[in-house]
Amino acid sequence: MRVDGLAIVLRPRSQGEACDLGLALVRSQAASIWRCFTLLLLVVAVLAMCTVELGGIVPILILFWLKPWLDRSLLFVMSRAVFGEATRWSDLWRARRQVFGGQFLRTLLWRRFSPWRAYTQPVEQLEGQRGAARRKRVKLMLNDNRGAATALQVTFAHAEAVLGYALIALVWWFAPENRNAGVWDWFFHPDAHAAGQLGLDIATASAYALVVLFLEPFYVAAGFAMYLNRRVVLEAWDIEQEFRRAFT
Amino acid sequence: MSSHPATPAPRIDTLSPAETPEGIVLSLRPAGLVSRTMAFLLDLFIRLILDLVLVMSLGAFGGLGGLGFGLMLIGMFLIEWLYPIAFELGRSGATPGKQAVGLRVVMDTGLPVTPAASVTRNLLRVADFLPLAYAFGIVTMLLNRDCKRLGDLAAGTLVVYAQPVVLHDAPPDAPPLAPARPLSQGEQAAIRSWAGRAKRLTPERFEELAKLAAPALPAEVPGEKPRGASERLLGVAQWLMGKRT
Repeated sequence: MRVDGLAIVLRPRSQGEACDLGLALVRSQAASIWRCFTLLLLVVAVLAMCTVELGGIVPILILFWLKPWLDRSLLFVMSRAVFGEATRWSDLWRARRQVFGGQFLRTLLWRRFSPWRAYTQPVEQLEGQRGAARRKRVKLMLNDNRGAATALQVTFAHAEAVLGYALIALVWWFAPENRNAGVWDWFFHPDAHAAGQLGLDIATASAYALVVLFLEPFYVAAGFAMYLNRRVVLEAWDIEQEFRRAFT
Repeated sequence: MSSHPATPAPRIDTLSPAETPEGIVLSLRPAGLVSRTMAFLLDLFIRLILDLVLVMSLGAFGGLGGLGFGLMLIGMFLIEWLYPIAFELGRSGATPGKQAVGLRVVMDTGLPVTPAASVTRNLLRVADFLPLAYAFGIVTMLLNRDCKRLGDLAAGTLVVYAQPVVLHDAPPDAPPLAPARPLSQGEQAAIRSWAGRAKRLTPERFEELAKLAAPALPAEVPGEKPRGASERLLGVAQWLMGKRT
């Protein structure tokens, strides 16, 4: 890692402040992040929607379950974004084996339940640590940082729930005055309406996909920035950055 | 990983500059979604407990008949709307939740929050929690570079971290050494903060960093016992801090 080439300013920060740095990173590289992520999520979401006949909740469950895997592409984009590099779909495709393929089972099974997966994801994906070395490294990263890493997860779980409800509520809010009772009734008795159960299921799944599309880059970036911040504490990366800029 | 960009763009940081009337630029550190959500959840919990106490104490006064119910609603209204204002105008400039997370509310200029601004930002919470539970607040906090919600934008306030994070301690003692060339302020600050990290880094990493600062290192004096880069740079740090003998 060339610390002097970083497009972000490293300095001592609390982990909460580090999350904000991640959010700033997303804002500055929004174009390349959503250029790559929208297409990927669209493909996954459309495939997930095809399972709607199995049960109304299945597409949402599939999207939810695949998020750690989707995050891998986002972290790839972020890891270039911290150097101020834009990412195109072709860059992502060139790195497909490393981004889409690696640690498939781990990502989809027990990592799915990790309360700090965004924070420890760089250890697995960017450092490429395995087995005992990875466990040791993750433990070092989590020392004194479990609370902050959990706070990140709690915050984004809440934000996701709120925005999900809000999108559905917007349908009701923006319905014409004399129709919103009908919208309300559609939510609770979908079969009595033209759009029906299928329409309601597709609508909720789309709302969820939109929330993921908006929120997931922020979540991954915040976790990544916390990871960088931890290395500032452990290895004085901020000083290395200043020294390299000043003396080399 | 990649090549250096040809024209260095301004590096991304989270600071928000504010200029005082004296022409001094303060760097405020605005707090973003994660810290503020944690503070909000704590405050919500405290407000719920206050509401519960209110309901139970009114219940003790002969049930919740017409008047009791009315008083309860008025009390809940006051708790919901006056709780943040009362605390923000207090000494700490923060509600208990914000205080626990280490945040405080200030004006854009870094001055303490004024009563009018506090009332404005808290009345506009209505706009932020549309359509449900702070949806607009979350979106604006994520997209605004100073992490402001709509109420903050209208009132010109900022939620900032109250205390800076300090990672350095007193630097270890060393005989002072003049640097090999005059150093800029930034370079001096970097060397001083490097020296302050001595206790937090492994000796190997400490030495590795000192070697990066080679251009500033004074040459070894012939005849004396050779000293490592970190020992010499510690001497420079002491010299920069004014020690001369």
